[in-house]
Amino acid sequence: MTDRTDLRIDTTVATSAPRAARPGAFFERHFGHLLPLPAALCIALLIIFPLAFNLYMSLQTWFVSSATPPKFVGLRNFVEIFGKDARFWNSIWITVEFTLLTVLLELVVGMAIAVYFHRDFRGRGVVRTVMLLPMVSTPVAVALIWVIMFNPSLGILNYLLSLVGIKPLLWLGHPRTALPSLIFMDIWKWTPFMVLILHAGLQSLPLTPFEAARIDGASRWQLFRYVTLPLLRPSVAVALIFRTMDSLKTFDTIYVMTEGGPNNASEVLNVYVFLTGFKYFHIGYASALAVILIIFVFAVNLLLIRVRERSWSY
Amino acid sequence: MIRRFVCPSLMLAVFLVSLLVFPGMSAAQKFDWQAFAGTSIRVMANKNVSGETIQSQVPEFEKLTGIKVMYETFTEDQYRQKVLLELAAGTGAVDVIHTATAQEGLKFWRSGWYEPLDEYLKNPRLTDPAFDLNDISKPALNGNTYDGKLVALPTTQQTTMLYYRKDLFDKHKIKVPQNFQELEEAAKKLHNTEDGGQKVVGIVLRGKKAAATSQWAPYLFGMGGTWLTKDGKPAINSPEAIKAFDLYGRLLRNYGPPGAVNYHWYEAVSLFVQGKAAMYTDVSNRIFFFEDPSKSQVVGKVGYALFPAGPAARRPTMEVWSMAVSSKSKKKEAAYLFVQWAASKDTILKIHMKGAPSVRASAWKDPKFLAEQKHKDWIEASLKSLEIASTEWNPPVVAVSEVRDEVGAVIVSSILGEDVKAAADKAAVEMAKIMEKTEGK
Repeated sequence: MTDRTDLRIDTTVATSAPRAARPGAFFERHFGHLLPLPAALCIALLIIFPLAFNLYMSLQTWFVSSATPPKFVGLRNFVEIFGKDARFWNSIWITVEFTLLTVLLELVVGMAIAVYFHRDFRGRGVVRTVMLLPMVSTPVAVALIWVIMFNPSLGILNYLLSLVGIKPLLWLGHPRTALPSLIFMDIWKWTPFMVLILHAGLQSLPLTPFEAARIDGASRWQLFRYVTLPLLRPSVAVALIFRTMDSLKTFDTIYVMTEGGPNNASEVLNVYVFLTGFKYFHIGYASALAVILIIFVFAVNLLLIRVRERSWSY
Repeated sequence: MIRRFVCPSLMLAVFLVSLLVFPGMSAAQKFDWQAFAGTSIRVMANKNVSGETIQSQVPEFEKLTGIKVMYETFTEDQYRQKVLLELAAGTGAVDVIHTATAQEGLKFWRSGWYEPLDEYLKNPRLTDPAFDLNDISKPALNGNTYDGKLVALPTTQQTTMLYYRKDLFDKHKIKVPQNFQELEEAAKKLHNTEDGGQKVVGIVLRGKKAAATSQWAPYLFGMGGTWLTKDGKPAINSPEAIKAFDLYGRLLRNYGPPGAVNYHWYEAVSLFVQGKAAMYTDVSNRIFFFEDPSKSQVVGKVGYALFPAGPAARRPTMEVWSMAVSSKSKKKEAAYLFVQWAASKDTILKIHMKGAPSVRASAWKDPKFLAEQKHKDWIEASLKSLEIASTEWNPPVVAVSEVRDEVGAVIVSSILGEDVKAAADKAAVEMAKIMEKTEGK
C-alpha cells in the first residue's frame, strides 16, 4: 500500500520535474505537429482559404460596384451555368477538343522524335538542345510572335504556303481555323516536353529484351511495337498526365493570340472564367465557373492516375 | 504736423493689427496654388498617350504647388482592374483617378466613387480665375455629367476620322468621301489595286469583336441608330443598327484585309503604315504613327478628313480621358488642384503639343501649335469633330465590357457574312439580360 503511494509520488515527480526545468517540453511532446506547422499554415492561407472563399463567392452575385451590392443567391449561379449558359458548354467542348488533340498529337510526334534521337549521330547534343527551345521560351512572348506569323496579310506562314502553291489561310482569323491554329502552335511549343520525357525513358530501358527479340528474328517495327512501346508505358503515362494537366489549363497563349475569338471559337473554359471575372467583373458567376473548372481538372486527373495504376504499370 | 503724422500711422497700425488678428482672411479669398504645399497625393493613370503625357508634366505641378505626387501608370486592362479594386475596397488610398467616363462612368457614378466637382469649380479659393471652363469641348463636358453633376475634368480626346491615301486618290481620280455611299464606292474602286508592287485593300477597320465596337459607333449614329431606345432598352437590333452592322461588315468582307476579325487598332495601323490599305477610319491620334518616318512608309501621303456622313447624321465619336477626384480621398482639395491643373490651359497646351489631342479649342488655335503641326486638314477635321462628336463611343450602360462583347459578336458575324439580323436580335436579348442584372437603379 505504502509502496504504491511511493511509486505514484515517484512518477509524478519524475514527469513534472523535467517539465518545470525545460520550457521546451511542450515542443518536445508536439514535435511531430510543430515542424510541419509553417507549411500547413501556408497551405491553409494560400490554398484552402482561397478555395473556401471562392466557394463562398460562387454562391453570391456581385459586379464589383456599389450600385448593386453583393447578394446571396444560393446555387442559382450553378443552375444558370448548367441550364442556360450556351457559352459555358461551348467552352467545355473546346477545352476537351483542344486538350485531346494537343496531347495526342504531341505524343505521336514526340515519340517519333524521341525514337529518332535515340541513336548516335554527329551533333546530337546540339540538336537536342535546340529542340528544347520552344518549351523554355516565354509563352506570352512566343504567342505574340506567332500572332505576327499567323497574320494573313503580313505573316510568314501564308508566304511559305504561297511558295508551294497553297492558297492563303485565315489562320486565327476565322472561327473554323482559329482553334486548329492554336493547336498547331501548342504542338510546336510542347512537343519538346514529350521528347524529353520519352527520350529519358528510352535511355533507361534494359537492353536484354531487345537482344532477345532480335535473336528471335523480330523486325524493327515489331521491336518497336512489341518491345519498346510496352516497356515505355510508365514514361508515356507520366508524360500524358503532365501534358493533360497543362493543356487543360492553357490560358496565356490563347488569351494573347485570340482572346477566345473569333466569336468564342477558341474560348476554352479558362479564358471564359478569366473574362467573366476580370473583364466583366461578375465575381460570383466567375467563382462558380472556377469551381466547376477545379472539379473538371481534378476529375480528369484522377481518372488518368487510376488508368495508370490499373493497366499502365507493370 | 502731429496730426498729419498720427493719422496715417494710426491707420497703418490698425491695418497691421488686423493682419495679425485675421491672418487667413485675405488669403482665404484668393486662389493660391501653394495652399496645400507639403501634402502628398496618389494618382492612378492608364498608360496611354493621355496618361503618359500628363505624367511627363508632373514635376511642374510639384514645383507649382509643393504637393508631392505619386503617379502610377498601368496598361489599360490592368489599370481597369486595379482602379476598380482600389475603389471597391474604399480605403481612400487613391486620390485622383484617370478615367474614361464612357467606359466606367455610369458604374463609378452609381457606386458613388466620383466626387462631384461643381462646388469646387465655383469656389474662388480653390479654382484659378484663369481656368476657363467654356474653352473645353461641350460634348466632352456633357459626357462627364451624370444626374446634372460634373464628375471629372476632361483633358484629352480622340475623335474618329477618315484617313485616306492622297496619292492613290489622285492616281485613281477619286474624291474624298463625304458620305457612306461614297466611302463604299471608293473602297470598291481602290480594292486590290497595285501600288509600288504590292496589292492594296480598299479599306481597313478594326474587326476584333469588342475592340471594333467603338469605331463602329459612328457608323451606327450616321445611320440614325442609337445604343438604347428612349426608354432605355437595347436598340442594337433596330433597322438603323442592322444597316450599320451590314455596312461595316460589308466594307471589311469585300474591300478589307483577309482575317479582319482579328484586327485590333494595332493590326490596322500596321497595315496602313505599310501602304497596304487605301482608307482607314479610327481615332485621330493615329497621325503620329502615319507621319513618323521610323514607323511608317506613307509619310506625307495621308489625307485627313472629317468622318463621312450617314443618311441620318454626321457624327464621329469622341473618346475623352479625364481626371477625377475619388470620393473616398482624404485629401480632396489637393486632389482637386491636381485635376484642375491637368485640365488647365497651360498643361493641356503642353500635352497637346506632345501628341495627346486637346479637349480645349484654344490649344488647337495656339500659334505655337499651328507653327509646328503642318497637317492643316487634320487640325480642321479635329476642330470640327470637337463640336459635332458624340462621346458615346461605348454603350451607356454599367456593364460596358460585357455589352461590347455582345455587340462585337454581331460585327464579327457581319464581317464573316453570316445572318446579321439573327445575330443582332440575339445580342439585344443578351444585352437586356446583362442590363437587368447590373444596372441596379
